[in-house]
Amino acid sequence: MTEAMVATSASGTLAPRRRFMLLRRLATHRSFQIGFAVVLLLALAAVFAPLLSGLDPSAMKVRARFKPPSQAYLFGTDMFGRDIFTRVLYGARVSLWVGLVVACVSGFLGAVIGILAAQFRALDALVMRLMDALMSFPAILLALGITAALGPRMESVIIALSVAYVPAGVRIVRASALVVRELDYVQAARIAGASQLRIMLRHILPNSVGPLLVHMSFVFAYSILAEAALSFLGVGVQPPTSSWGNIIAEGRDYATQAWWVMLFPGLGISLAALGLNLLGDGLRDVLDPRLKGVG
Amino acid sequence: MTALVSVQDLTVQFRTDRGWITAIEDVSFDIAEGDCLGMVGESGSGKSVTALSMLRLHAKGSSRIVSGRIVHAGQDLLQAEEAELRRIRGRDIAMVFQDPMSSLNPVLTICDQISETLRLHQGLSRPQARQRAIELLDLVRIPDARRRVDEYPHRLSGGMRQRVMIAIAIACRPRLLIADEPTTALDVTIQAQVLELLRELRAELGMAVLLISHDLGVIAEFARRVIVMYAGRIVEEAPVGTLFRAPRHPYTEGLMAAVPALDAGPNDEPLRLQAIPGRIPDPSEPIAGCRFGPRCRHAQASCHAAAPALVSIADGHRLRCTPRSGGSA
Repeated sequence: MTEAMVATSASGTLAPRRRFMLLRRLATHRSFQIGFAVVLLLALAAVFAPLLSGLDPSAMKVRARFKPPSQAYLFGTDMFGRDIFTRVLYGARVSLWVGLVVACVSGFLGAVIGILAAQFRALDALVMRLMDALMSFPAILLALGITAALGPRMESVIIALSVAYVPAGVRIVRASALVVRELDYVQAARIAGASQLRIMLRHILPNSVGPLLVHMSFVFAYSILAEAALSFLGVGVQPPTSSWGNIIAEGRDYATQAWWVMLFPGLGISLAALGLNLLGDGLRDVLDPRLKGVG
Repeated sequence: MTALVSVQDLTVQFRTDRGWITAIEDVSFDIAEGDCLGMVGESGSGKSVTALSMLRLHAKGSSRIVSGRIVHAGQDLLQAEEAELRRIRGRDIAMVFQDPMSSLNPVLTICDQISETLRLHQGLSRPQARQRAIELLDLVRIPDARRRVDEYPHRLSGGMRQRVMIAIAIACRPRLLIADEPTTALDVTIQAQVLELLRELRAELGMAVLLISHDLGVIAEFARRVIVMYAGRIVEEAPVGTLFRAPRHPYTEGLMAAVPALDAGPNDEPLRLQAIPGRIPDPSEPIAGCRFGPRCRHAQASCHAAAPALVSIADGHRLRCTPRSGGSA
């Protein structure tokens, strides 16, 4: 496909920038389209939550307990008579925010540490053993320990999950940076008299982060799941602030009487995870063949 | 005549599972201003190691420079500070590699990559560097430079990319250009064009060129003087005419004989390709005496006893071989 595009656009007057070509290929990728649409929809719903529902997510109405989904309560109400639709919308803010921040923080740290480890061999052994140690704990267990130590707050969840997901990012970036640093153009940059820092930032980093971007989209999804799990276990985001995880946790005791309490936040989690995974698949497909088509 | 760069007794070792092995040993040669030196030898004979060591870009950790001096402008590069080396790399001594397909960063435009050297060494502003990049692309005969300058490497052919590499290398008007197999990855017509370009640029810019190749044809066409490397050592150095007309080292003779000929031999039989018997020695196993000894047709007992030294046998002609009894020497 790349070949064909190059051939057709070669006759054009202006060379399209490479970045735009990547974007165009992303835009025509089916699973990326679907994933992007799902994630965008959820994000918009979270951002415009106050417009979509006029209710207060914490407002209780004892007479309206356990109302099944209806015209008045789209997703029904919980044991305090709170509107589940509103709570799921506001919960999306927390869940998506945690996912986004964790993906960005762990991705950034992964890139920095990974590049440094690849570049400085002395650092490599130490850093990688540390990462191995972190990786030897299951992510959720590690996060559970950290949140327990830091106290159950949203910030603790973000810190805990970022720490838990950094090692994988480091490994990914280090692996591709080790390949890239031996390539001729990096050697060429050295011969041109470029400094270490310049080589790392300008030549190695941009050519090593492709796999990390894909990984970050998955970390985003994992973090939403993990935040839900932590909140469900009670060490995550605390009531009355709603997150998808603690809405499910609160609904657990009444699962047989009021299935809707758990269903809708659960659907939110599934949709977000699905959308992000589809988006990540699209990213992977577009970033991978680059090496074949261009290299 | 003072040398632009003088390599003296350079010895470089590589680390392997079996300890340090010597990749090149006692390599000495001079390159004068505007000189055009060719370096031939088979794969693994130490050509690229020599070139990279000259800029102290040998792989750190897995290789080491054991001894030698590389004198440039009165300064020994092997003793220089890293910062000082960075100023010399790209500005005074530049290099072009074998594989143009992997020598350009795929995520930067041609303009970015040419500008990098210019801005680093000459402190040009972005628009100035861009203007200069276009001029350089013109200089290396890339058509429509104004448009090409904003393209990414994957849109250029191999020959074009090699021209871009050359443009980057000559951006700061280096005194010495090291071209490590610059035409090997290109097809024959493009090879000729790139060589022609190098020749013209050398004349225009007055820079010295060290051309490394395993292709005798390329060397014959381009170089003025030739160094022949074998198993990490210089075995012969001579002006190009002398070397091709009257090679003195048995290895050089063998190389010349191994060039495929198109003419038929006597009785209209096609000439058989002459091969040198044996293989290049394993560098981890030391050889007593001459390294080429085991493969040499003229080897005598004395050849296996002591390694011959590189001695000057005529003006500009150096040879590492014991005089043959009764032969031409």
